[in-house]
Amino acid sequence: MPVVKSRREILLSAAAAAAFPIFPAWGQKAAGVTIGVITPTTGTFAFAGDLVARGASLALEKHGNSVIGNAVRLLIRDDEGKPASGVRRVQEAAISDGMRYFIGAYSSAVGLAESEIAQREKLLQFAAGGSEDFTGARCGRYTFQWSAHPYTAMRATLEYARKAFPQKKTIYTLTADYVFGHALLKYTKTVAAELGFELVGNDNHPFGERQYTQYLTKAIAAKPDILLMNTAGADAVTAIRQFANFGAQNIAVVGPWTLEVDQLAELAPEMRSGLILGQNYYPDVDTPANKEFVAAYTKKYNALPGYSSAYAYDATRAILLAMEKANTADVPDVVKALEQMSWDGVLGRMSIDQKTHQLIRPYFVVRCKPASDMRHPADFAELVARGEKPQPPELNECKQMPAL
Amino acid sequence: MLWLISAQLINGIAIGMIYALMALGLSIIKGLLNIPNFAHGALYALGAYVCYSVSSSGAPFALGLLAAFLAAGLAGLALDRLAIRPVGAGGYLPQLIVLFGAALIIEQVLLIGWGTIGLSYSPPPLLRGAFDLGFAVVPRYIAFASIFSALVISIVWLLIERTRFGAHVRAGIERPDTARVLGIDVDLLLSGGMMLGAGLAGGLALPLVGATSTMGGDMMGIAFVVLVIGGLGSLYGSVAAGILVGLVQSLMTIAAPAASTAIIYAVMIVILLFRPQGLFGER
Repeated sequence: MPVVKSRREILLSAAAAAAFPIFPAWGQKAAGVTIGVITPTTGTFAFAGDLVARGASLALEKHGNSVIGNAVRLLIRDDEGKPASGVRRVQEAAISDGMRYFIGAYSSAVGLAESEIAQREKLLQFAAGGSEDFTGARCGRYTFQWSAHPYTAMRATLEYARKAFPQKKTIYTLTADYVFGHALLKYTKTVAAELGFELVGNDNHPFGERQYTQYLTKAIAAKPDILLMNTAGADAVTAIRQFANFGAQNIAVVGPWTLEVDQLAELAPEMRSGLILGQNYYPDVDTPANKEFVAAYTKKYNALPGYSSAYAYDATRAILLAMEKANTADVPDVVKALEQMSWDGVLGRMSIDQKTHQLIRPYFVVRCKPASDMRHPADFAELVARGEKPQPPELNECKQMPAL
Repeated sequence: MLWLISAQLINGIAIGMIYALMALGLSIIKGLLNIPNFAHGALYALGAYVCYSVSSSGAPFALGLLAAFLAAGLAGLALDRLAIRPVGAGGYLPQLIVLFGAALIIEQVLLIGWGTIGLSYSPPPLLRGAFDLGFAVVPRYIAFASIFSALVISIVWLLIERTRFGAHVRAGIERPDTARVLGIDVDLLLSGGMMLGAGLAGGLALPLVGATSTMGGDMMGIAFVVLVIGGLGSLYGSVAAGILVGLVQSLMTIAAPAASTAIIYAVMIVILLFRPQGLFGER
């Protein structure tokens, strides 16, 4: 028999619903803190998902799996490398599991979509990725950016290329056709002009492209000195594999943000040898916190850590340290604490630029070794340079951080 | 500009031949089963992994290709006996679902067996480097892969048109049930389609795209476009469409590189508007 409700009962129910916060389970779960790890375990960046989770898990273990008397748990979800999936996973985790903090995404396009939810629902997001929009036009008070700014990355990489190849003048760029690639291309133009390189051509390729010979045929026909890969992930791996088939030894391949150490194993040594690559992280970085991290990671996983794990480890640690500094797990207080603190991170003494929420950090450049110079299977490259030049303030589009 | 167009024409024909080989196997299976083989991509990935394991163990690349060819055929036979045939009486839909599920299972098996990190394999020394034609640089391996694909397609054509075996294939494609009644082993033909278009194509693609568990999904989009443009079930249509797609994709890079993949879908829509049965299909 259907239950008939009076208008008064319906209004009372509506008022009761409105009186409770959007996440009713949150209050019940106040004794515990849930940190989301929203990363891709499928799709173009599938390699990164498990590695990100490893880093976050290690940070939690280092912290005794608790913070200010609360048990901390990780909630791991697959964003599939797709913005729509990432947004869904964040919303589901916030509503169903009381998640108020999350590490993600690995891809800029996904992270930027999730950032909209973070601002709206007041969730603290510690993101990675190469888009400048995180700390520029789409900056938000609840989003922090761990990865280097694309300007810093481009400047460090091309500065080294300038030094390593004083005779090389012309650059041809292959650019991923989404926010990440566009940001790199923008700063390629800025930095190339600063360093005296000439850009002789660019091709944008669709995200997820698996056939590059048509772009490479065109690029090689332009006879550049340097092929600059403004692309990443599986796209970059495929493009470099196919470029290796051309045997164009006279063209140097430079990747400002192309392959992190995590993905170098995907290329055969002869495809990798001589590549000049910018890195957000490299296991050889000489800091006390990194030595401790590398030792713990190697002991637990019997492998060297890469960017994905280092990012998650450091970002998770920063969130936990900010909670301790704020002495609460309330998100706005933790955001304020994170804005003001500095900590010994894997890359050295770290802090946040309050105006943009960009992590103030160095960027590294490596040169890949030939197989004969590798001391062990993961000895892919040699650290050859480091750069810290931040984005010039006049180029930043984050006009004002919104109030909490 | 003329040089660039010529260079892209050569590149387009080369990659088009590889697309054609993928689509040819898919077309044979479509004809025999009368449903699209959703597991084709997963078998293609299996071919690449098997080729990698054999070739990187020190065996010649040719042996790797042969192993990929046989592995996809064996997997195809197993798929037919264990999955497709048991649900055959249920008709079209259960077979589609089973093939879709099989693709997911094969992908997971590849992940468990070979790990999440993609694998790369350089072509044998003889096929490394490029031919410099003056106006264009053509990688030796691309040239080899396209000539090899053309040879395989030609042999298949000869087999189909000039031999008793070919008559069986044609009969199987046109009337699978009648062919079975006449004693033709349609399942063996099915396995042959998977050997060619999935196993061999996967092995052949290894030095170009590597081996990853998701590579099948990447290939399936283009293979289905080729199949639809050529005309479902038309063996030679898929060959012509493969070359057409390679050419369009390559030439588009000159004018609008970012649209070089989108354009093949636009071409498919235009062709379907004027010839719903595809270029070589029959109503």
